[in-house]
Amino acid sequence: MTDLVIAHLYPDLLRTYGDRGNVVALSRRAEWRGFSVRVEEVCLGEPLPPDANIVLLGGGTDNVQSIIGRDVASRAVEVRAAVARGAVVLGICGGYQLLGRSYVLPDGGVVQGLGVLDVETRASRDRLVGRVRGDATLWGRSFELVGFENHGGRTTVGPAAEPLAHVPRRHGNNGRDHGEGASQGGVLGTYLHGPVLAINPELTDAILARALVTLTGGEELEPLDEILERRAHDGMARRARDDRRPARRRRFAVAGIMAVVVVATLGAPEAFERREDGDSGGRLGFGSLVHEVHVERSGLTDVR
Amino acid sequence: MTIEPQGGCDATKHPSAAQRGWDGLVRAAAQGVAAMSRSIGAGAGMSAPGVVIDRLDPGFVQRRGRTLSATTTLVSGTNGKTTTAAMLVAILEAAGRRVLTNGSGANLFRGVAASLATARGEDAAVFEVDEAALPRVAGAIEPQVLVLTNVFRDQLDRFAEPELVARLLSESARVLPEGSRIVANADDPLLWNAVEDLEPTGFGVRLSGSARSSRRHDADPEICPRCGGAVRYRRRTFGHLGACECTACGWASSDPAFLVDVIEDDRIDRLHLSIEGLTCELAVGGTHNAYNAAAAVAAASFLGIPPSTSIDALASFVPKFGRAERLSFDDRALWVLLAKNPVSCSTATRQVLSDPRIRAVVILVNDHVADGRDVSWIWDAGLEAFVGVDVPILAGGSRADDVALRFRYAGGAVEVVDPDIESLLRKLRAITKPSEDIAVLATYTAMLELRRALLGSRRAQVSDTTPEGPGRLVDGVHR
Repeated sequence: MTDLVIAHLYPDLLRTYGDRGNVVALSRRAEWRGFSVRVEEVCLGEPLPPDANIVLLGGGTDNVQSIIGRDVASRAVEVRAAVARGAVVLGICGGYQLLGRSYVLPDGGVVQGLGVLDVETRASRDRLVGRVRGDATLWGRSFELVGFENHGGRTTVGPAAEPLAHVPRRHGNNGRDHGEGASQGGVLGTYLHGPVLAINPELTDAILARALVTLTGGEELEPLDEILERRAHDGMARRARDDRRPARRRRFAVAGIMAVVVVATLGAPEAFERREDGDSGGRLGFGSLVHEVHVERSGLTDVR
Repeated sequence: MTIEPQGGCDATKHPSAAQRGWDGLVRAAAQGVAAMSRSIGAGAGMSAPGVVIDRLDPGFVQRRGRTLSATTTLVSGTNGKTTTAAMLVAILEAAGRRVLTNGSGANLFRGVAASLATARGEDAAVFEVDEAALPRVAGAIEPQVLVLTNVFRDQLDRFAEPELVARLLSESARVLPEGSRIVANADDPLLWNAVEDLEPTGFGVRLSGSARSSRRHDADPEICPRCGGAVRYRRRTFGHLGACECTACGWASSDPAFLVDVIEDDRIDRLHLSIEGLTCELAVGGTHNAYNAAAAVAAASFLGIPPSTSIDALASFVPKFGRAERLSFDDRALWVLLAKNPVSCSTATRQVLSDPRIRAVVILVNDHVADGRDVSWIWDAGLEAFVGVDVPILAGGSRADDVALRFRYAGGAVEVVDPDIESLLRKLRAITKPSEDIAVLATYTAMLELRRALLGSRRAQVSDTTPEGPGRLVDGVHR
């Protein structure tokens, strides 16, 4: 009998953001401690293995998620049964949204989720994108959580669930309440990529410890050599911390250089204000030039 | 805020004396800024002048571009833009045309603008254009031929979803004037479905002989682009490319008008092909280059050059700028392969593994804006194929640690981890011998850094220009 059975839902469809890395991280960290592991790929219409201790859903594009939506509705019973027998269910990004009660489309239409996590998501025009560092609390453990978020949906956590992490000055679930992800018993969701389980070994081990509790009797898992995990994790944490200030400084520097270059090359900008068409679009205005540089350098998805 | 050209369509084709004078002024300003930009070491001088042109005179690209419209080709799509454009330029030049072209880093609107400012009476133009910049460039220039290479997952922090990119390319194709031709990858279901109603000319690739198809995790979902049902492939190359049909709605790929057969593909610098019954040996390997060659031959056929002439020209095509480019490093041969997204990384991996000469592999991953700041994709690329192969792996670039972690979880290990490319090269020298061949897989800015380290900043930019940071996606696309 296999110690750990990981059911990877829709691996052929929900695989936009390196989510396979999460399955690899769980498998390896269990195998390195001597547990036997089986990964079951569960595609559209296929049943969830009844002995799954971990169920994993990755992220996909909107188009793919609408295709999956039809299949997800039919899985509510088997996923609830898995939760009831103690399996850990993890959803990343789109998978997180599918675990919730519902997803409200831009046109107001509602897609029902699995309903195993008390969260609700609304579609939004702007995407929330960036590196994230936060403080996570999960099943009595506290640790630093890092990753890369890239999502259009705004998720609100209901009273039965609690946010996975507190992410000050980051977007997180909805860009308002500084919460990131959610957990409710053995069910958890997060917007973070990285892959999140590869660069957050504490989260991975928390999931493994819970999924393997009948074998370990609640004993802590054997510690592993984590030099590389730590370095990748710390690198992401550092980037998330540094993201704001240097970027702004760099933008000002670029704008400054551009302004100097333009002055030196063209002389007084008034020379170009006498164009006959009189359209301000053709004028060289410093304000607008600097603005343009800001916009172009800031990247299009720095939504704040 | 775009200034419409004064007068009707004729005025744009035959500018007045005043208009020519003004254009001269704009060009002079642009060239001045380019010189300034180069002298302060800000780059190769393509971005800054483009910005100046765009601010001074947004109608410039439209007016200048349309004087070349009849012979202009735009190349866009996720992968293969640079090489396809370079192949087409080689074909046109071999046919005696003088060709205006932009460098791979200068593929936004302002890059095209800067390139047009340097025009000196060329009789053809080939521009590679960033997917997000394509709607604006295509609308302004009205090219004779638009080549759409493929749509893969790429820079997700910027492009969000492949479906949006396909829509972007399709919308651009719809603004082309009557009589222009669209050349599109018939093996890319998502892309083909998006432009199929415009009656494009398709190209595709069939593998035979020693070339094998593979199925890996780098592929985008295998679903019908029309109804989302499951698709069945009858011919397949790599990633999601191939000919397929939907088991639910019956949608099927079209037979490509230009089908290239890959006969042999076993070295980084060699690819044996057959196009239109004619065989050809390219000096650049990899199935993806069969697609690039097919696209270039198809595009050239609409510019008056028959396939037989194109194929001769391709035989002497020399790859450049990090696309299986050979650089020398202390008597060693460094083969540089761009690996910027899961599929291009997997493709490069296969190319390296097929070549028995390679003695070491360097993987450079940066996470700058032009690379995409999220490097999760390295976990989808088929890098585990290197595990168990008896060559040392070295990890570099700003995300060297993530590469090292990726190999640890793939059951292998990297020999050296060093984010600093220059110091990594010193370590590479220590573990390799002169005359050995080394493969380098690099993301876009890492490739630029490597070229600068090896060639010096001036020479590194000779065949290309500095990268522009990605621009905004056009309004309304990024949802």
